[in-house]
Amino acid sequence: MSGRVALHSRTPRPSTVALVVSLLLAGSAIAANGQVGEQQAPGAVGDVAGHVPDQAEQVAHVPVSPSSSPAARDWWSPGEGRIFPEWVEYPNESGRLGVLNAEGAFETKGHAFFEPVGENGRACVSCHQPADGMSLSLQSIRERWEATQGKDPIFAPIDGMNCPNLPAGDPASHSILLKRGLFRIFLPWPPKAADGSPIDPEFTIEVVRDPGGCNTDPEYGLNSPNPMISIYRRPRVAANLEYVVQQRFGVSPFVGKTGEPAARDPETGRPLNQNMMADARQATLRTQAVEAGVTHLQMLEKLTDAQLQQIEAFERQIYAAQVERTGAGSLVEEGGAKAFGPRNLLAGDKGVLGNNITRWVFPMGDVWKAPAQGSTPEQIAMRESIRRGQEIFHFRTFWIKDSMHLNTVGLGNPTKRTCATCHGMHMTGLDSANGWMDIGTTNLPWALETPRNPWTEEQELMPLFKVTCKANVPPHPYLGRVIYTQDPGRALISGKCNDVGTIVMQQFRGLAARAPYFSNGSAESIPELINFYDRRYNIQLRDSERRDLANFLSSL
Amino acid sequence: MKSISLAALALTLGYSQVAAAKDVAFISCPIVRDTSSVPCWLSEYEGQLYYMGIQTDVSADFNPPSLGHKVLVEGTVSPDQEVCGGKVLNPVKVSVMPELSPECNTMLTAEARYELPFEAPRPPGPSMGQLAFTPPPPPSLPEAPFPEKTFTIEYDFDGKVNFQSPRALQPILQYANHVAASRIEITGYRAAVRLSNGEVVQERADIAQVRADQIAELLQGAGLDQPEYVVQASAEPQVGGPEQRKVTVRILPG
Repeated sequence: MSGRVALHSRTPRPSTVALVVSLLLAGSAIAANGQVGEQQAPGAVGDVAGHVPDQAEQVAHVPVSPSSSPAARDWWSPGEGRIFPEWVEYPNESGRLGVLNAEGAFETKGHAFFEPVGENGRACVSCHQPADGMSLSLQSIRERWEATQGKDPIFAPIDGMNCPNLPAGDPASHSILLKRGLFRIFLPWPPKAADGSPIDPEFTIEVVRDPGGCNTDPEYGLNSPNPMISIYRRPRVAANLEYVVQQRFGVSPFVGKTGEPAARDPETGRPLNQNMMADARQATLRTQAVEAGVTHLQMLEKLTDAQLQQIEAFERQIYAAQVERTGAGSLVEEGGAKAFGPRNLLAGDKGVLGNNITRWVFPMGDVWKAPAQGSTPEQIAMRESIRRGQEIFHFRTFWIKDSMHLNTVGLGNPTKRTCATCHGMHMTGLDSANGWMDIGTTNLPWALETPRNPWTEEQELMPLFKVTCKANVPPHPYLGRVIYTQDPGRALISGKCNDVGTIVMQQFRGLAARAPYFSNGSAESIPELINFYDRRYNIQLRDSERRDLANFLSSL
Repeated sequence: MKSISLAALALTLGYSQVAAAKDVAFISCPIVRDTSSVPCWLSEYEGQLYYMGIQTDVSADFNPPSLGHKVLVEGTVSPDQEVCGGKVLNPVKVSVMPELSPECNTMLTAEARYELPFEAPRPPGPSMGQLAFTPPPPPSLPEAPFPEKTFTIEYDFDGKVNFQSPRALQPILQYANHVAASRIEITGYRAAVRLSNGEVVQERADIAQVRADQIAELLQGAGLDQPEYVVQASAEPQVGGPEQRKVTVRILPG
C-alpha cells in the first residue's frame, strides 16, 4: 500500500467523489421519476442503473497511474487523431480481418469513442481495437505491455490490475490481464435494483479463493464499506452491434426463457433483448457507455448526450469479420457465400433466427460446393474443410445436458440438438433472445481449473466463490444448493440461484483476431474452445471434425 | 415403416380414449430413449412403461422433463397405442419435481423396434423455417366500454413462473394496458394430487402466496405499475388435476 501513494498522479478529492456519486444518483432519480422508473428489475434499466453509483464510489477512490500510449502499427491510441477509413484490413494468424466503417471515413479527433474522456487516459478504443475485431486480444495486451513497459492506459489500476491496491508496473499486479486478457469488473453486493435499492439475493456467497486479492481487500472487497465483488472478464466485440441490440425476434416484455420482465429502454420504454454484456446488466448502447465511462475510463462526470449519441452512432455502423482465410484465399469474392465478411453483415437481416433451412445461421449456399475458378489444390482442400465445418455447426447432433436456461426451456434435459440450437441468430451465432446460459465456463465442475497436486507450483488465477442457495428457494436444478464458481455471472445482477454462472453468449465474428475466448478467457485458441464443448457435452468429435470446425470458425 | 403425422396420431389416440380411457397419476423417474430422429420420453410405473412425448420445440404442448429429477405424471392411458415401447399417455401433464434425484439417469439407446411411428414435427437440427406447432392467434381486443376479465395462469406441481409463462402473461399485460386497468386482483392457489396408489401429495405450503406475489411483481416489472394491486392466496390445497395449480388475474378497467 505504501508504494501506491507514490504512484498516484491524481486522487480525486472527497468533494469530487461526492460530486460524481451525487451526479450518478441524480441520474438514477431521474429514471425513477420517468416512464419506467418504478421498475424493480435488477439493474439493467434507467439512465444510470442502480448499481452504477456504488461503482462510481469505488472508482473515485482508485488512483490513476501516469500513462502513455504511443502510436503503433495496428494500434489505435486514445486521442491520436487520425482518419478512420471506410475500409481497413488487419492481418492475423488465420488470414485477414476486415473492418467496415459503413458511414464513411471520419476524423477521430474529438470523437468520444476515440478520446480519453476519463481520468486514466483511456478511450473506448483502448479495449475495442479495430485490428482485434473491436475487442482486445491477449497478443495485443502483451505487445502493449512490452512496448510501453506497462504504461499504456489499458493497464490502469482501476481494472487493468488484479486489484487497485497493488503496485503499478509490476507484471504480477497485472497477471490476470497479462495471462488471460481479463479486466476487473466490480459489482455491488447485494445486487442493486434499477432504482438503487438492494435486492434480497436467493443465495449467500463466500470467497473461497482470491488470487487477485480484491474480494478480500478491506478497501475494495466484499467486506469493505462499499461491498463489492470483483470478477474478471474479456472485453466484448464493439462491432456488428445492430445484430446484438436487435429489436425483433425473441424480444418481448417477458424474457422467453424465464418469464421475468425484460429490461426496457429508458428512453422509449420498449423491451430489450439483453444480449450485449456478459451479465446483461446494461441493455442499451447508451447505458453501457455510461457505465463503461465510469468503471473503465474513470470518468468523474457522465458522458454528455452529444458524446453518447456519437458513440452509439459509431457503434451501430461498424462491422468486423474475417475476409481472408489462410489456405483458402479470399472469403468475400464476388457472388460468394453470404456468411462471410463485413459487407454481408451490413446487408444481412438483423434480428432473425437462422437455425432453419430457409435462412441458416451462417448461409453458404451452393457456391462453395464447387472449387473457385483458378484455385490451387490446397485452396480447394481448405474451402472444402470450411464448408464441412459449417455443416457440422448446423447438423452434427449431440446431447446437451444440464445447461441452465437451455435445458430448462422446453427442449428437455438432455436434448439432442446441434451447435446452431443455441447459437441460432442469423449471421452472428448469438442466442435468439436474452442469451444468459450456464454451459460450465465459470461453474465447477466444468470450468477450467489449474490442477492441484504435489508436482506443480502453478496457481489458479481466477477467484473462486462458494454460493449457497437459501432454504426458501428450490435448489439449482443441476448443481444443487451449493455451487462453486469463478464468476457468478448474471446472478450478481439478479440475485437468483438459477442464474449462478450464467453468461450471455458472444457473437462468433472476428474470432481469429481476438483470442482468448469465453468471458473468462479460459480457451486460449479456437481448438481449445472446441475441446471445451467436446468434453462438456461428450460430443466425440473426430480430429477431422475438429479441424473442419476450427477452419470454419476462424473464417467468420 | 409406415409414417403418420403426429397430429393424425393424436386424433387416433383421442378417439380410442373414448372406449378405454384410464387416468393415472404417479411420481417416478423419467427415461429418455434415443431414436434415429428426436428422442422420446418415457416413465415407468408399477412395471409398465409409459410414453409421454417427444422432443420438439418450445411451441409444443408437451415439453420434455429433466433427468436428475423425478416427475409427477398425470395422464390418460391409451391402452391400444404404444410409442417407443411405452403405453401412450394422452393427454399428459408432466411436472419436474424441484429436488434433485440423481438416480434418475436412464438413457436408452436407439433401437429399430422403437423408432417413432410418425414423422417428428421438428428434427433435432435446423427447423423447416417455422415452429413445430403454430400458436393460436392472439385474441382481439374489445372496444370500450371494456368488460372486466379474468385470466388464468397454470403451473407445474410446486412450480413458479417459467419459460411457458410469457404465453400467459402477455395477454394479461396487453389487456390491462388496453383497458387502462385501475385495479388488478391476483389470487394464488395451492393444489394437491391424489396419486394412483391412493397417496395424496400436496404442493409446498407457501406456494399460493409465492405464485401470487411473483405475478404481481412481474406485471409491475413489465411496466404495469399504475393500477391498484390486490394480492391474495388460497393456501388450502385443492385436490384435483393440473387445473388446480393456478393463479387468477382479474383485470378491472379504469
